[in-house]
Amino acid sequence: MGIDIKNLSVNYGGMDVISDLSLTIPEGCFFTLLGPSGCGKTTLLRTIAGFVQASKGNLYFQSNDVTRLPPHRRNIGMVFQDYALFPDKTVAENVAYGLRARGESGDAMMKKVRHELEHVGLGHVMDRHPAALSGGQRQRVALARAMVIKPQVLLMDEPLSNLDAKLRIQIRETIADLQREANITTVFVTHDQEEALSMSDQIGVMNKGKVEQLGTPKEIYSTPRTAYVADFVGAANRIDVSISDANADGTAHIQLGGASILARNTLPAATRDGILIMRPEDLRLSANASAEAQALPGTVVKRQYLGGKTSYKLALADDTVISVESHGDNHDGFDIGTKVMATIDPSKAVVIAS
Amino acid sequence: MIKALDLRTPWPWLSLAALVVLITFILYPLVNILTASFGVGDVENGWSRLLTDPRGLSAIVNTLILAAIVTCTCVLIGVPLAYVTARYRFFGKSIIALLPLITLVIPEVISAQTWLMALGNNGLITRFFRDFGIHLPSFYGWFGLITVMTFVYYTYVYIGTVASISGFDVHLEEAAQSLGTSPARSRIKVMLPVILPSILASALLVFTMVVGNFAISMILSNQLPLLSVVTYQAAVSEGGAAPVMQSTFATVSVVMVMLILFFNRWIVSRGRFEIAQGRGARPQPITGWKGAAIGLAASFIVVVSLVPLAVIAVGAFTVSRGPVMQWGNWTLANMERVFVTAPQPLVNSLIYAGAATLIGVAFSAVVSYLIIKKRNAVTPWLDYISSVPLALSGTVLGIGLVVSFNAGWLPLTGTATIMVLALLVRRLPFGMRSAQATLYNIPNSIEEASISLGSPPLRTFFKVVLPMMGPAIASAAILTWTTSVSELSASILVYSGGRETLTIQVFRLIGSNLMAYASAYGLVLIAVILIPIVVATKVFKVDVFASK
Repeated sequence: MGIDIKNLSVNYGGMDVISDLSLTIPEGCFFTLLGPSGCGKTTLLRTIAGFVQASKGNLYFQSNDVTRLPPHRRNIGMVFQDYALFPDKTVAENVAYGLRARGESGDAMMKKVRHELEHVGLGHVMDRHPAALSGGQRQRVALARAMVIKPQVLLMDEPLSNLDAKLRIQIRETIADLQREANITTVFVTHDQEEALSMSDQIGVMNKGKVEQLGTPKEIYSTPRTAYVADFVGAANRIDVSISDANADGTAHIQLGGASILARNTLPAATRDGILIMRPEDLRLSANASAEAQALPGTVVKRQYLGGKTSYKLALADDTVISVESHGDNHDGFDIGTKVMATIDPSKAVVIAS
Repeated sequence: MIKALDLRTPWPWLSLAALVVLITFILYPLVNILTASFGVGDVENGWSRLLTDPRGLSAIVNTLILAAIVTCTCVLIGVPLAYVTARYRFFGKSIIALLPLITLVIPEVISAQTWLMALGNNGLITRFFRDFGIHLPSFYGWFGLITVMTFVYYTYVYIGTVASISGFDVHLEEAAQSLGTSPARSRIKVMLPVILPSILASALLVFTMVVGNFAISMILSNQLPLLSVVTYQAAVSEGGAAPVMQSTFATVSVVMVMLILFFNRWIVSRGRFEIAQGRGARPQPITGWKGAAIGLAASFIVVVSLVPLAVIAVGAFTVSRGPVMQWGNWTLANMERVFVTAPQPLVNSLIYAGAATLIGVAFSAVVSYLIIKKRNAVTPWLDYISSVPLALSGTVLGIGLVVSFNAGWLPLTGTATIMVLALLVRRLPFGMRSAQATLYNIPNSIEEASISLGSPPLRTFFKVVLPMMGPAIASAAILTWTTSVSELSASILVYSGGRETLTIQVFRLIGSNLMAYASAYGLVLIAVILIPIVVATKVFKVDVFASK
């Protein structure tokens, strides 16, 4: 069941938290709303759930207008950041709760409950209370509770942020598997770009109540349309530049630190000033002293050894400082003070509007 | 965030109904008092009469002096006692930490009575010293008032300060020492400013309680005019028809308490320090002569505040002839009177306090839920109005009820309803505070989880929220029960013949100097208070003082 959002606004005390937002989430899609706190992503999720009333616009599940439908009649499954398990009920009773609200009871219901709990690997804790479970187990129970009612739409509000790093990756996989098996339309809210990139079919990067960029994880990462998106998704060198000449094939030459490099150009015609975006891991370091194509000469001013990679800061001739990440053999081999060259593929450097 | 009223849900209708109830039984009586003080019918304005009434004026001055002195003595006893129990371990500490809580649930009328039986003109200790030719000063007046009120009210300072010291982050003190100040100096420089607001807040609480105190003032003031005494006397002589002077005095007391509460709020708002991840100090063992001295001093305070209770237990089984106690001769006649000859006060107490507890807890649970989870334009008013009784002494509340429901559109005088109402209104804030504290701790996501699973709002309240509130409701019920059973100042103004409660009976017997009977009723009263607490904490494991 797809979700259609049309010109939606949400107003809190005179301020628009969501303003005139339109979005289509296709059936079976794992859709992630990504953004920092306060960008309106949770409000949008809660509006889809029905806990927040839209002040303008409409919300459709498939073709049904659910804008005014109270949340308990929307047939949604929701997973909360703090799990929101009922502390006085056992694990089995927590999972059975939604089925009971739908008038089910008896052995048939308990069979569903057991099946769902076994599915998330928790068949053995059915009679315990939530307090006796670990954080990861609690979130699995919450997931089972939301899935067992066969909801039309699965909504998740930062479900992994209370878990430690290792568990987060485990539960991430559980969620992705369950979602794919049930082929259920899912809206997932997070501020963690790695979560968003690894799990989603589609990502909407949100900023100030609007979707700033919509696309697949790869599109969002490799072709950020704005400086905000580039900055929020992954680390990026952002350098104010002025293009010297725009080519017809969508590339342009840029003067930077005494060198000239070719980059993709997304500026509108006749615009010269923009921001050059280069990911640190896309720059390659070499000790070559002679000038070569696509190379920025610089001096190593800082080095941080990180195990599988080394992070450098280079000072270019005009004192611009850029970050470079070096992988491969001998990745920590450049001492502070060494003169180096940082080269970049023209397809990996992009100029966007400032 | 306050939303407009959404009339399709049940919540705004419930809010409006609760608002009507609260306005009728709290605001309307209060407004009646204020207007009646300016004169009723052809009775002169109370304020101009007050200015020419030397007894009334000196009552106000005496009350302020008494409140100031008792506040100081309570701080002097409560703060050091709190400090040693929060920071040290010493012999007998567990009992010392617990006993002040017991004095909290002992009705004031019993405290006054027991002290009188020990130190009054005919008291045990007075007679003991008289045998040696030592004449103690009269216990009536300033001496008795200050002594009894101090040992009754220091527990409030003690409890407030213990909580604050226990929550004080010990790392701050260690930081101060690492920066080069001595331990003692660090404590004064770093700890004192942080705990000072709560000491002041509890001291101001004591001040307001002294201003509103009825039982001890009535029993021990004798010829000394005090505000609550002259208010009560005016109420008794005027009745409900032309309540001018009682309303004037009641207004003075309301204004006094209001000023203190505003002052308190101002202090709290100025002095709120955020203590991130506060980890209180572990109590250190203290031994040798220092430990012995602290243990002895602390035990002395606690024993002094509790020994009089022993007197009542003895008195309940002692033969008496009129006012004369024949110590050493035992009898069951006093108890027979409580249970067989004149059991009405006991029955009344159980019925009225039971009704007040049931209604009060149900009302608080629902209204607190509205205030915290279903905010709308009305709910802030529910919050304000339901906390108004905190600022009113029992005497003021009683007068308000008598003035408002004496005759007219809702005549309640002489009914059992007005007795229950007096207890209910007076103790409503206890139930509200307890219910609200728990509701704050139930995250909204729990309710939303239930709704998202297809459970409608009302069903969610009964299936999810109410079970989670269970423990808090139990502790609120016990707190409401104990404080309702010991209520005197409001109920004594609204009761009529045949509707005496245990506290009223004890008060009247003390007035007639029949101490043996008073002891018997008093002992039963204490049992009625303590048995539910013991059963709840021991059998049902309810944390009665969690929300205090």
